[in-house]
Amino acid sequence: MRILIVEDEDRIVEILTAALRKAGFTVDAAGTAADAGEALAAIPYDAVILDLGLPDGDGLDVLAAARTAGGNAPVLILTARDAVEDRVLGLDSGADDYLVKPFATAELIARVKALLRRPGGALGAVLTAGNLTLDTIGRDAKVDDRPVSLSRREIAILEHLMRRLGRVVPRGVLEEKLYGIEEEVDSNAIPVHVHHLRRKLLENGAAAEIHTVRGIGYMLAEPKP
Amino acid sequence: MKALRLRSLQLRLALRLGALFLAASLLATGALVYQTYEAADSLGERNLIERANDLARLVKREDNNASVIDLPPRLAAAYGSSDGVSAFAIRDAGGRVIAASRDEIATLAAGRPPADDEPRFFRFNVSGREYYGLDQRLESAAGPIFVTVAEASEAEALLHAMLREFIFDAAWTIPIFVAATLLVGVLAIRGGLKPLREVSAQAAMIEPGAISQRLSTRDLPGEIEPLVAAVNKALDRLEQGFALQRQFTANAAHELRTPLAIISGALETIEGDGDIAKLRQDAARMNRLVEQLLRVARLDSVALDVSAETDLAAVATEVVEHMAPLAIAQDRSIAFIGADRPVHIKGNRYAIEDALRNLIENAIAHTPPQTEICVEVLERGEVSVSDHGPGVPPEDRERVFDRFWRGDARGAGAGLGLAIVRETMKAHGGGVEVADNPGGGARFTLRFRRSSHDLDQ
Repeated sequence: MRILIVEDEDRIVEILTAALRKAGFTVDAAGTAADAGEALAAIPYDAVILDLGLPDGDGLDVLAAARTAGGNAPVLILTARDAVEDRVLGLDSGADDYLVKPFATAELIARVKALLRRPGGALGAVLTAGNLTLDTIGRDAKVDDRPVSLSRREIAILEHLMRRLGRVVPRGVLEEKLYGIEEEVDSNAIPVHVHHLRRKLLENGAAAEIHTVRGIGYMLAEPKP
Repeated sequence: MKALRLRSLQLRLALRLGALFLAASLLATGALVYQTYEAADSLGERNLIERANDLARLVKREDNNASVIDLPPRLAAAYGSSDGVSAFAIRDAGGRVIAASRDEIATLAAGRPPADDEPRFFRFNVSGREYYGLDQRLESAAGPIFVTVAEASEAEALLHAMLREFIFDAAWTIPIFVAATLLVGVLAIRGGLKPLREVSAQAAMIEPGAISQRLSTRDLPGEIEPLVAAVNKALDRLEQGFALQRQFTANAAHELRTPLAIISGALETIEGDGDIAKLRQDAARMNRLVEQLLRVARLDSVALDVSAETDLAAVATEVVEHMAPLAIAQDRSIAFIGADRPVHIKGNRYAIEDALRNLIENAIAHTPPQTEICVEVLERGEVSVSDHGPGVPPEDRERVFDRFWRGDARGAGAGLGLAIVRETMKAHGGGVEVADNPGGGARFTLRFRRSSHDLDQ
């Protein structure tokens, strides 16, 4: 998978490149808005990491140009701008996520992976969390290549949790995705499904674990290294 | 005590005015009394002189060369009245008595040393009565004569009594006048100083967080206005200095971010635990400090816009959602207990997010592993964060919100998080406080003012 880093600070480019390559990505770097424009026009990148403060223009312009040109690769904004309002501006302009400098490289990689895991993203077909895999097309889950028997709704819940690996999925979102608007949802339905799913993952030796965030929803946490 | 008393302008003026009025009124009364008695005395003297002259004009020389006096009936009645208040004796140049109102007076007059042209006054007693008299040599139709006239003192005493009564009738108004003047003076000073008390109240409000406040010069007495204006100018200069320093803090923190990001990134790419892991922690701590310094600088320099209608429940939900992965990664859990309905407040959602995040980060740091942090939103416009850590001892409950205050010097925090929370809440017109969490630990509560929208309902 090929990722473009648009950033003018050489040392940051160096560090990010090293980290992303180690995580198995192919990395290109552009130091100016002009270079970034050319690179985006020439190569269909799977994801873009974009710094907002560029020497020859604003990163938001690069974003707008890429979107106008029809590029739909997920974009993660990297910014030293601290005014929280700026973060929102970035998201409104079509970015998919943002990180404020200084950031942890590990977090950046996790965020990039999460973007790629979105439906339609480069990692969309088969999701992984440690030794757990889910084929979103074949609709089957495996732990260490051994199939795990899950119900249709358990698979659906697992898919949403895996697409947002390491982040909280609100219960309301799961209810919306699993049940039609017309359907009456028992307030216990989702907790019961999650309970079964959690037990089955545990019994089958999955390293990833479903955590409950009481009052909000659930989170699948990647196993600790 | 004495110094304190003299420092009151009001009291000082009142005391001095009082002393002045007292002295002035005593002096005026004294002078009046003295003048009155003087006038009374000279009135008595003039009266005697007039009478002497009247009598002299009535003395005639008879054909037999003898001098006689022919008293008109009115005068004769006056001098001859039985009470004997008025008396006279007239002698010729040879000392022979021409006429006398009474024999005693004639005897007395004969015993007096010879008078000259100047009136000579004297006092004497006749049969137990005191008289005030006059000797004078006067010219008459019968040649020079010696006239002695006298008036009993009772008449004089009566006059004095009348005068005294008049003085005291008029004088009693003086203390009232003094008191009234003093009262008016004190009230004028008090009224004039009232704006000064208002200015003092304004000055009490000025502090690092509200340095743009100025003292009002409206209604101030002209004498004090220059002082207040000078203080305001001094505050202007201080504010400039403050702004410069805040700008410096913000710039310094901002400039530190990029090199820090490089150091942190580089440290993450280096394999290894031991020393490298410690260095990573140190870099993370510096990152946090720089972040918080920036937030503090921003809160200090830019007035927070807290006018937006904000749903506290939605903000809290989002923050909990955001912070849950951090809590779970550190083997703590987090829960949200909320109002099902939106809780509307006026506020800045980003600043509230920051404040809540700070509280949750603290809770994660202090609650033991495998315990739960609870974030609760209440309908009355409150959100609290409770943990199961050691809690905050009562004596520290104010200080924890001070900048750079750290309960545990070995802790990882920079000591700015709670200061940011307090500044944020101050900007919202609300407050933050810490109490014991029922069941152990600390419970931090942010109180907001409900927006009027909900109060109407």
